[in-house]
Amino acid sequence: MSRDLNIKVHHLTRVEGHGNIVVNMKDGVLEKAHLSIVEPPRFFEAMMKGRSFHEAAIITSRICGICSLGHQLTSLVATEDALGLEISEQTVLLRKLLIHGATLQSNILHAYFLAAPDFLNVGSVFPLIATHKDVVLRALRMKRLANDIGDIVSGRAVHPITPVPGGFTRIPEKAELLEIKRRLLEEALPDGIETIETMKALAGAIPQFERETEYISLKHADEYAMYEGGIYSSDTGILPVSEYLNVTNEFIVPHATSKHAKFNRNSYFVGALARWNNNHSQLGEEALGAAEAMGLKPNCYNPYMNTIAQVVEAVHCILDSVRIIDKLVDNGLKNEKPNQTPTRYGRGIGANEVPRGILFHDYTYDNKGNIVAANCIIPTGQNLANIDDDMVKLVPEIMDKTKAEITLNLEMLVRAYDPCISCSVHMLDVDFIE
Amino acid sequence: MSTLTVIGVGNRLRADDAVGPLLIDELSKLNMPDVELIDAGSDALGVLEYLEQREHVIIIDACSMGKGPGTVITFAPHEADMVLDQGQISLHGLGLAEALKMGEALKMLPKRLKIIGIEPLSIQLNGKISPPVLGAMKKAMDHVHREVLNTQGLSET
Repeated sequence: MSRDLNIKVHHLTRVEGHGNIVVNMKDGVLEKAHLSIVEPPRFFEAMMKGRSFHEAAIITSRICGICSLGHQLTSLVATEDALGLEISEQTVLLRKLLIHGATLQSNILHAYFLAAPDFLNVGSVFPLIATHKDVVLRALRMKRLANDIGDIVSGRAVHPITPVPGGFTRIPEKAELLEIKRRLLEEALPDGIETIETMKALAGAIPQFERETEYISLKHADEYAMYEGGIYSSDTGILPVSEYLNVTNEFIVPHATSKHAKFNRNSYFVGALARWNNNHSQLGEEALGAAEAMGLKPNCYNPYMNTIAQVVEAVHCILDSVRIIDKLVDNGLKNEKPNQTPTRYGRGIGANEVPRGILFHDYTYDNKGNIVAANCIIPTGQNLANIDDDMVKLVPEIMDKTKAEITLNLEMLVRAYDPCISCSVHMLDVDFIE
Repeated sequence: MSTLTVIGVGNRLRADDAVGPLLIDELSKLNMPDVELIDAGSDALGVLEYLEQREHVIIIDACSMGKGPGTVITFAPHEADMVLDQGQISLHGLGLAEALKMGEALKMLPKRLKIIGIEPLSIQLNGKISPPVLGAMKKAMDHVHREVLNTQGLSET
C-alpha cells in the first residue's frame, strides 16, 4: 500500500523544553519518525562549577520538581564517592525508603493520570474525575502517602531538607515511621491491590507492539536494585558504575538538542520495564503475583507495558518500605550526625534507579571541596534513541489505521516512557475573563 | 492550624520562575503569627496536597498573563481562564492550572483561594531574576499583606 503520511504533534508551545512527534511517510516509505526535542542545553556543569559539596545536592534537587529526590540522592552518592565519606547502614536504609516513596508516587501518578486516560480513550485525566472519581481519589491518596514518606524522612516544603552528604541532619522518630508503616499496610496496600484490578481491566487496551532492545538498569546482588549496584545490560552483563561513560556513549542528533545514548546497539531502554526484565526474579511473591495478574511476563519487549511494570514496582515499593521500616526500628534508631569530613578530594560517580530509569551524576572536586567538573545523564536522554527506534518499527505496522489512531498510538508510546523533557518549569498561563 | 497559608510555587534555578519561593523567603523573615509558609518548589501538582483542609490560601507564582514583566495581579481562580496543558506526554506537564482544576472538580479547594501572579521576563534555566521582577517583589509583598489584613478582618467579624 502506498501512502503519504505527515504527522506533527506539537506539544505545548508556552514553555521551552517540550517534545514534538514527527513522522513523514511518502508512497508508503517511512522517511522520518522521531521525537524531536526542543529543550535548550541543560547548563548542568555551569550550574555546578565552583559550588561546595554542601550545596551540590540542594541545587540538583531543584532541577526538576518531579525528579527532585532522585537528583538529590544521586548527587549525594557522587559527592560521597568523590570525598571518601562513609555512610551508615541507617543512612542507606533511610535513603532506600525515600527512593521507594518517590518511585511509588511517580509510578502511580503515571499509571493513573497519563496511561489510564489513554487506555480508556478519554484524552486526559479530567474526564475521569466525573466518571471514576474513586479511582482519582485513590491515586491522590497513594500520592499523599508517598509524599508523607518524603516529608518525614527528608523534610520538604515546610522543613529544611535533611539528606546531606554523609547522612541526615534529622533522624525520623520511631513513632513517625510506625505511623507510615500502618498507613502502608492499611491504606496503600489495599489501594495497590485495587490498582492491580483497575489495570487488569484496562490491559486489553494496551497496544500489542514488540521490539526487542537492550535493557539497562542497575543490578544488585541481594535485592531489586533501586539504590546502589552495578550497571547491567541485558546484552552484555554487568559493569561497575565507574564505567558509565562506556555505557551511555552520548551522541548528538540533528532533531534534538538533548543528547542521545547507545551502548551495544543503536539504542537502549531504561526505566521500569528494563528493571523488570533485568531483575524481576528479585521481586517478592506479591509483586510477581501482580505482574502475572496484569499479564506482564519476564523478557517483555512491549514498551507500552512499561506502565504495568510501574504498577508492579508500586506494589514492591509498598511492601519493601514496610520491611525497611521494620529493619530501622529493629536496629534501633540512632541519632547519628552526618559524616562530613572528607578523606580525599577527587572524582566521584553516583548512579541510582529513579522512576524513569538509571540516573548518573559525576563530580570532580578540588581540594577545597568545590566542584571543578560535573556531568549528569538523565534517564530520558538515554531513552530518546530507543523511542525513535520504536517509532520507526511501529509506524509501518500500524499504517492501515487512521491518521488520528496512528497519532494516538505514537503519543501513547512517548507517554509510556514518561519523558522528563522540561526539567522543569510550571508557569501558570492565564487569560483574564473580560 | 494557621489562619492563612501562603504557598510559593516555582523553580529557583529558572530566573523569574524563582519569584514564588523567593517571596516565601522574604515572608519568613517577618515572623507573622498564624501564617503558614510553604515553598512548594516546582512540583505544582503537589500544591493540591496543601489546599485540602485549609481555609484561606494564597498561591504566589510566576504567571504568563500577557502583561508587562513585573506586573503583579491578585485574582481568584474563577476570575481567570487558566490554560490547561493539552495532550500531556509526560507527568512533567501537570502544572498549577491542572492541579487547581483537579482540586476544583474534587471539591478540595479552600473557601478563600487567591493567586498572586507575577509576569516574568525570563524563565531560562540557570538565569538570574530580572530587574522588573526583582522590582515587583515589594509590590507582591504588599498584595500578601493586603490579603493577611483581609483574613484578620474576616476572622474578627
